[in-house]
Amino acid sequence: MERLLAVWVESLAVESPDGSTWRDFAALFDALSVLSPFTEAVRLGLCVIPVRGPSRFFGGEGAVLAAVASTVRDVTGREAALGVADGLFLAELAAKSHRVVPVGQSEAFRRAQRLDVLGRADLAATCARLGIRSVGAFADLAPARVAERFSAPVVALHRVARGEVAELAGQRDARINEHLAAVRGTTRAGSEQGGFFGENAAGDERAAAAAHRVRRRLGAEGVVVAALRAGRVPEDRAVLVPWGAPAEAERDDAPWPGQLRAPSPATTLARPVPVELRDANGAPLRVASRGGLTGEPATLWFSHAIRRDVAWHAGPWTSLERWWTLARPRAHVQLVLTTGEAVLLVAHSHRWWLVGIYD
Amino acid sequence: MFAFSPPRPPLPADLLAKVRPVSLAGSRRLPLDEPWSGLVPGASLRRGSLVVVEAAPGLGGLSLALSLLTGASRAGHWAAVVGVDDPGVMAMAELGVDLRRVLFVPRPRGAWAESAADLLDGVDLLVVRPPGRAASSSARRLVDRVRESGVVLVVLAETRAAWPTPADLSFTITRARWEASSRLDARYLNVRVGGRGEASRVGEHVIVLPGQRGRAES
Repeated sequence: MERLLAVWVESLAVESPDGSTWRDFAALFDALSVLSPFTEAVRLGLCVIPVRGPSRFFGGEGAVLAAVASTVRDVTGREAALGVADGLFLAELAAKSHRVVPVGQSEAFRRAQRLDVLGRADLAATCARLGIRSVGAFADLAPARVAERFSAPVVALHRVARGEVAELAGQRDARINEHLAAVRGTTRAGSEQGGFFGENAAGDERAAAAAHRVRRRLGAEGVVVAALRAGRVPEDRAVLVPWGAPAEAERDDAPWPGQLRAPSPATTLARPVPVELRDANGAPLRVASRGGLTGEPATLWFSHAIRRDVAWHAGPWTSLERWWTLARPRAHVQLVLTTGEAVLLVAHSHRWWLVGIYD
Repeated sequence: MFAFSPPRPPLPADLLAKVRPVSLAGSRRLPLDEPWSGLVPGASLRRGSLVVVEAAPGLGGLSLALSLLTGASRAGHWAAVVGVDDPGVMAMAELGVDLRRVLFVPRPRGAWAESAADLLDGVDLLVVRPPGRAASSSARRLVDRVRESGVVLVVLAETRAAWPTPADLSFTITRARWEASSRLDARYLNVRVGGRGEASRVGEHVIVLPGQRGRAES
């Protein structure tokens, strides 16, 4: 869940008949977008900024908070309530209580909330009769029991309470960007961000505007771009970064000693899947200390006892370098399965992982 | 432009008349690389058209769909890839895709069609892998918008979950065979190329994808 800085300006939360609230809010949003291009308008009075990105530039979250607070003061002449926590639901609560929830403590913060923060007084009252008064106590109810007794919206709230969903259903104003565009009298989506590598051709701007639309629909991690960096194996070299993140336009096409040669797998799993490689007798295979396999691979086992027969294999190719920040040897093996698929496995810490599919 | 550049002489009228239609026709199509340029009518992709790539899972459909991007990508066109959860970026670079102009939407969750539609104004090629069989209503709506926008939509579908609207151009992988020595060297794909109108004549070809350097070869 993404760590967000929420900017809550209560006096800008209610629409005024003369439209001044929307104009002030648009001005605030534009000013915050200068601080961070990833600022999102959530609804009137509420903006969020992912803090992981900008805090690097401003020197930590404290400095970001100070920069945001002074921006709000300068632009609107009002004081903002600021808070930081994981996910939109908690970030708003953090702002309203002027809290910066430390990294790793968002769950405790969520569980400690009174149940009425979910926005349903009837639910809070019902649960209070059962002795359930906090979000944490509500979260501890078994999902099946909640689904049995309550309607679908409450089941959705339960998922928020359990931390499975980052935001409440009604927390965002779905039409906020239309509103902001109407206030400005233009659509300015294209001008918000330059091309990923700093180029600013018309095509790059159109693409940036499109990326922005998807980002608003799916959230900050919704759109990613690729960068290549130095490394020996596909899963190290291919980096996907959220679109708009500071560009690390490092390209190193120099051949690395021991680099796995092309072709690379068309699917490179960001989260490798644990698998088991066994021989014809069902004995698990390992990479022997001298670099070979302890037997002939016959079957590849996925979790839940799904298995495939191995038609051909090559490797292991051993390399010693950083992987998941641990310096341990790992070895790659290519397999062709009898179903015709080819996969790339890596052995690491006495376990096998599926890292690539030649899709 | 340099300050001392002399003004350009105007083109003769007869030359202008020859030049313009050609550039217009060119802009309605996106370039394809080998081997596809030799197998597809017009050696290029028509803007606003629907291309369907069909393959059993794991048998080269993704590589094929991505290989269709290379010509346009190197010519400066933007592409987006929606619904491919763990794109092999190295493989794309080896194929010849310019990664600086590719947006990825790896996990659009339930909103794959909406996310694809969001991207239509921003890119020239759009690769979409729907999760399972696409509902015909959302497929039709997306294709209608693709026709208006001039984007080439490349749908990657599994053989068991066919795309519900007719393709202008289709690639069906019927067989995949790996060639291996001390490692995986190359994969031979049997590909049936077909479609509607100019592409209605079906041909079956064997292509190498990926080859030893990761590219598509004939």
